Amino acid sequence: MSLNAVVRTPKVAPEAPSRAPRARLEPVTAPRARRKPKLAYALVALGGAMAIGAAQIGLSLAITQDSFTLASLSSQQGDLNLRTQALQEELTGVSSPQALATGASALGMVVAGAPSYLRLSDGAVIGAGTGAGWASTVDPNGAGAVSNSLLQAPTNDATDGPVTEDATTPTEQLPPAITDGLPSPTTH
Amino acid sequence: MTTRATRSPRRRTVVALAVILSILCVFIVRLVDIQVVSADEHVNQSLKYLGEGDSIPGQRGDIVDADGTVLAESVTVYDYVMDPKAMKTVEDNEKNPPKLPWAEASTKIAEIMGLNADELRAGVAAAQAENPDTQWYQLAKSMNAEQHTQLRALKLPYLHFEKREKRVYPNGAVAGNLLGYLDGSGTAQAGVEKMEGQCLAPSNGEKSYRKGMDGVVIPGSERTVDAVNGGTVQLTINSDLQWYMTQMIAEEAQAQGAQGGTVTVVDVKTGKIRVAAEWPTMDPNDLDASAPSTWGSKLFTYPFEPGSTFKAVTAAAIMENAGVTPTSPTVTASSKEKFENGAVINDAFVHPTYNYTLAGALIDSSNVALSKFGTMVSPDVRYDYLQRFGVGTPTVGFPAESSGELHPTSEWDNQSLYTTTFGQHFTVTAPQIAGAYQAIANGGEKIDLSLIESCTDAAGTVHEAAAPKKEQIIKPETAAELTRMLENVAVQGGNAERIKVPGYRVTSKTGTAQIPDGNGGYKSGVYYTSMVGFAPVDDPQYVVIVTLDQPTRVTSSAATASAFQKAMTQVMKTYRVMPSTVPMDALLPKFE
Repeated sequence: MSLNAVVRTPKVAPEAPSRAPRARLEPVTAPRARRKPKLAYALVALGGAMAIGAAQIGLSLAITQDSFTLASLSSQQGDLNLRTQALQEELTGVSSPQALATGASALGMVVAGAPSYLRLSDGAVIGAGTGAGWASTVDPNGAGAVSNSLLQAPTNDATDGPVTEDATTPTEQLPPAITDGLPSPTTH
Repeated sequence: MTTRATRSPRRRTVVALAVILSILCVFIVRLVDIQVVSADEHVNQSLKYLGEGDSIPGQRGDIVDADGTVLAESVTVYDYVMDPKAMKTVEDNEKNPPKLPWAEASTKIAEIMGLNADELRAGVAAAQAENPDTQWYQLAKSMNAEQHTQLRALKLPYLHFEKREKRVYPNGAVAGNLLGYLDGSGTAQAGVEKMEGQCLAPSNGEKSYRKGMDGVVIPGSERTVDAVNGGTVQLTINSDLQWYMTQMIAEEAQAQGAQGGTVTVVDVKTGKIRVAAEWPTMDPNDLDASAPSTWGSKLFTYPFEPGSTFKAVTAAAIMENAGVTPTSPTVTASSKEKFENGAVINDAFVHPTYNYTLAGALIDSSNVALSKFGTMVSPDVRYDYLQRFGVGTPTVGFPAESSGELHPTSEWDNQSLYTTTFGQHFTVTAPQIAGAYQAIANGGEKIDLSLIESCTDAAGTVHEAAAPKKEQIIKPETAAELTRMLENVAVQGGNAERIKVPGYRVTSKTGTAQIPDGNGGYKSGVYYTSMVGFAPVDDPQYVVIVTLDQPTRVTSSAATASAFQKAMTQVMKTYRVMPSTVPMDALLPKFE
């Protein structure tokens, strides 16, 4: 802050204008005329109250309706959860490797021996180059069958189901369509 | 200036005010103490009288394999009971007869539950005859979701159910011994269920509320703490390969007239156990179908003297400490020799005296030659190598896992000074042998075996298992020479034709262990046989060890050859391991 403080000149308040003296009390000549009550105000007030009442009824109806919807939806969800659980239970066991192996062996498939690989770039066969033999290296139905108690119970129902019907209906086996040309390796 | 008279009342006021203020302060302090500082304590105290709650059970976590295939899961089942008294009330209501009379309802119930309808009706009638007021009759337990849905659709007011959690193992006996089982109260008794109990266990939630004197719930006091389900444990196991091995070893063991068998597969580069299969198997879905002796995992809990498979460890010790190479020096060995200290060592077959190279001693698995090679270094050095290769250290901390037994050198007598060179006088489990060969296959770097990949908690956070310990236990050159010798064992040894995996270069070593008869001696004529090896030699990927417990058709380790060949072939195929492209080096000479 500067030391040379600005010296302010004190402001002088302007003089108030003088009022003409007036008598404090005066006699009343006549009572003021009473105003007529307006109907519009009453209507607005009444209408407002009714509107509020109607809105409240509507709102509570909506809430009640929602709670019914909610209840029906949650019961539907419960049912669907149960259905999901039931379907998953149907899959349990059927997805096991034993079930797959038994199914494959019923179709005449075997677990083969050593693999061979075909190198696409030069057509070389890597590995033994022999095909699969007639015998499987393991027999999923033999004495070594890995037990699964889940598989025994539902088989009666499962075999009667539509799954086997589908499997037995003869369908024409076509090779997969070639859309992107033959697979070939990228060579540099 | 104040006079005495004016001072006195003012002081009184001040004193009075001070007293009031201090009392107020005390109250405030107490109030803060009650409401803020020890609020929890008081609330808890009050809850003892006012609070009530119901537990919300959480669900135990899943166990999945390396690919996410579910091996163990928990499902909800429904135990049904009926109220015969309520049934009678409904039946006797003439004004409003039931839509589904009991005669029909009982048939439907029996059909859904898989019961006999006549027996059900008779049972209920008998219960009513005994006590006309009975309100409890047990119907079928463990109904699944499908049955529960059908029963609910009957809309019978006298049917009641209780939810219960049940453990299901979708793959049955595949990895059953490994997974373990729960007892009736849901407590894990064995296997991974027990090992990873902390991850799998759920924490139950609670629905709590407060009740007034008249038992009415105080509005706004309800509070729900959701249950947290258990975490998902991921194993390193490949369940498809595990199935194949279980099936294969069951067939092989039965074909060889053995009492049991195991297969272990370990990933060379990571030490992860991909297969831990055994026979006899146990199906945790139906424990009673198998003998209690098979409920545990023999693979991890049964230690045995490994025999010749540990000749490789002796070879590593002498190559690094006595300058021995696969071809020189040589030792003379006949098929039976008596040593200076009185010990007598026999070979498994009769042969003339040979000048064995180290490679030859391994190929012919000569105990006499190994005894002579092994004693080129001190027992302490060999003890150190056995320890380095994992003898005496448990592998994955499996429940009741055996760590094997390694006696200190001070307890080695004249005989065991030599027998320890060829895998006797100490015991190991099959995974420990796999671990030792993992180190050889991985250029001398031993990686601790692991069975658990991770634990994913209910919130989805993945807790990886601690990284395995890695240690270079032998020089890479030693590991390379050992690998070359072990390949020569596979190619020149007695089982060469039976263990060929077309297209792949494999190593192998057999082991034949004597089995204690429980009276301080050994059983005669039966052995615990094993065969271990890895492939492909040009870039080792997997270690496979197969064991058979007391095969009787062929009693020697040759019994395991077929199982080993099938196991190795399947492993190469499953993991798309490319066949060997580098041809084998020149054969090593057996003799000089």
